[in-house]
Amino acid sequence: MKGGAPANATPERNEFEELRNSISALREELETRFDLGSRVPRNAASPPPSGAAARDRVSELEGLGLDPIELFERARRWMPQRWGAARSAEVDEFGLDPVHLERVRPLLDFLFERWWRVQVAGAENLESADGERLLFVSNRSGILPYDGLMIAHAVERHHPGRRPRFLVADWLATLPFLQPGLARIGGIRACTENAERLLLRGEAVVAFPEGRKGALKLYRDRYRLQRFGRGGFVSLAVRSRAKVIPVAVVGAEEAHPMLLRLDLATRLLGVPFPVTPTFPHLGPLGLVPLPARWRIRFGEPVHFDRVESQRADDPLYVSRAREQIRGKIQSLLDAEVYARGSVWR
Amino acid sequence: MRLAVTGLGSFVGARVIEALLEADPEQPIVGLDLELPASLEDRIAFRPVDLTGPAADARIAEILREQRSDTVLHTAFFGTPHRDVEYAHELEVVGSLHLLNAIGATGIEKLVVMSSAEVYGPHPDNPNFLTEQHALRGHPDAHSVRDRVEVERLVRLFAARHPRARAVTLRPAAVVGPSIRNRFTRHFDAKRVTTLLGYDPLMQFLHEDDLIDAVLLALDRDLGGPFNLSGSGVLPLSTLLRLAGKRNWPCPHPLLYTLRYLDSVGRSADPPQAFYDYLRFLWVVDGSRAVRELGFSPLYTSKEAWMSFVVSRKLEAYV
Repeated sequence: MKGGAPANATPERNEFEELRNSISALREELETRFDLGSRVPRNAASPPPSGAAARDRVSELEGLGLDPIELFERARRWMPQRWGAARSAEVDEFGLDPVHLERVRPLLDFLFERWWRVQVAGAENLESADGERLLFVSNRSGILPYDGLMIAHAVERHHPGRRPRFLVADWLATLPFLQPGLARIGGIRACTENAERLLLRGEAVVAFPEGRKGALKLYRDRYRLQRFGRGGFVSLAVRSRAKVIPVAVVGAEEAHPMLLRLDLATRLLGVPFPVTPTFPHLGPLGLVPLPARWRIRFGEPVHFDRVESQRADDPLYVSRAREQIRGKIQSLLDAEVYARGSVWR
Repeated sequence: MRLAVTGLGSFVGARVIEALLEADPEQPIVGLDLELPASLEDRIAFRPVDLTGPAADARIAEILREQRSDTVLHTAFFGTPHRDVEYAHELEVVGSLHLLNAIGATGIEKLVVMSSAEVYGPHPDNPNFLTEQHALRGHPDAHSVRDRVEVERLVRLFAARHPRARAVTLRPAAVVGPSIRNRFTRHFDAKRVTTLLGYDPLMQFLHEDDLIDAVLLALDRDLGGPFNLSGSGVLPLSTLLRLAGKRNWPCPHPLLYTLRYLDSVGRSADPPQAFYDYLRFLWVVDGSRAVRELGFSPLYTSKEAWMSFVVSRKLEAYV
């Protein structure tokens, strides 16, 4: 057994030598065929290589300061080996894929820092113990769930490792193509069972009680809160003893200002069909959100931990608490909209 | 325990009998079926019964009394949906009705019925985890699932009428493993797996060995009611196929449902959505009740169950 290792080493080294020789032979072959080895400008004395057309194209690119091999290498590294290879083999129980999230994080950072230049106010209200159940309640704007994504991003920047999951309305959470993508970066279909399960796991959750009505309101109704559902979020907070943090998002209404809704198209397609200044007449370009400046303001938390759990089923209590939180968010919104000078700066 | 088993040829029936006989060769078991599989000859008592027959209930009651059975395991269901919808309905629903009547008449107190998590149905508005309290909505086009939902209803009625009886229904998630054959394993056996374009649901599996363990626990424990069974963890369909090294064939669902319609009515009596909707929407179950109350601890996570299935099929290809 002892003699095994050195005896094996020699053929291995031989193989390695062989491999190295064949690689260098291949490189020489490539260099002579395509004349790529000469990074210095070719002189007239060099023999004319074969493949004149290809060589001309190569030298053209080189003239522009671009190295074709380098370009190809960069493209190859950028492209995943196969579609889907940039995903992990494990997801959490709601489908969040940590590898995929890291992959799209530069894009989210770009949207947060450069595109919408998000300012965060009231971050002191985010102070919380680890594993404390947090329920963020926010105004909803725009069809695509950018606001949930940005709130999750803002919270994570103040509490690394604590990224809230955002709830996505039914009709959006079941759309083909969109749904798998949203689930991978932390979106979850909005229903009480899901939110409760998440809170009990000690996760933070972002809820939008306005739901569909908030997402589909027209530009002229901007920053006016719609009805807050049936107050499911209050019952939820009472039952799971979660801390409710009201959130006001300003700027998201201008990202995709909805001028009108085409009800006929909505009925035909089964999904809302908005008309914004850029969509649908600019085609896919119309899906690019406008770069309004965003402000996300976290209000003072509302505690439900001393409330008896029977109150969760008391409709009068639930509606009072619901309206109270709705009022808080509306006043935060009014203050923020009043305070901002321009939509863009 | 003096056990009576229906469905000797079914996967669960055959494997549970093997496991019980292995633990104790003298274990009293009576088999109720049309015929006795050769592998079980002289190892268990056998009484030929046609569950669909007109006087089946009286005959079963007679056998149960004669054998002094105290526990019944009902597994007479088709693993893969049967082509003959009428016959499948007769056997699965009417057969179960006959069996339940006989059990009610003899005063047996323990009954375990094999159902499936498919009874919840794939629906866009399912929560991410379905608990046992969730409504059994099934799938309107899948006759096998419709029949199972009907059987579950019969068992609930039975339990309400016989409060002393312990009626357990087991609802396993998609069961995979080296030897089981059902519509999921058949679909994933293909070289190129058809998937629905734009959909990538989270899937959940139970390993076949864990299923047998759960049935043995359910026979043993003094408990009643429905139990979801699943391995822990979920994985998106695309990840599963990647782990298996399989290519997929993404097809827009309206196109697939139209094209495959004629092809599929001839073969399985159900339109394609009866199966493909299970690869389109969520139907993941919360198996924590079985873990808490039955003491069920699956050896395989969803991913390990899937890998066990994939690896066994790869080995089979070489043997």
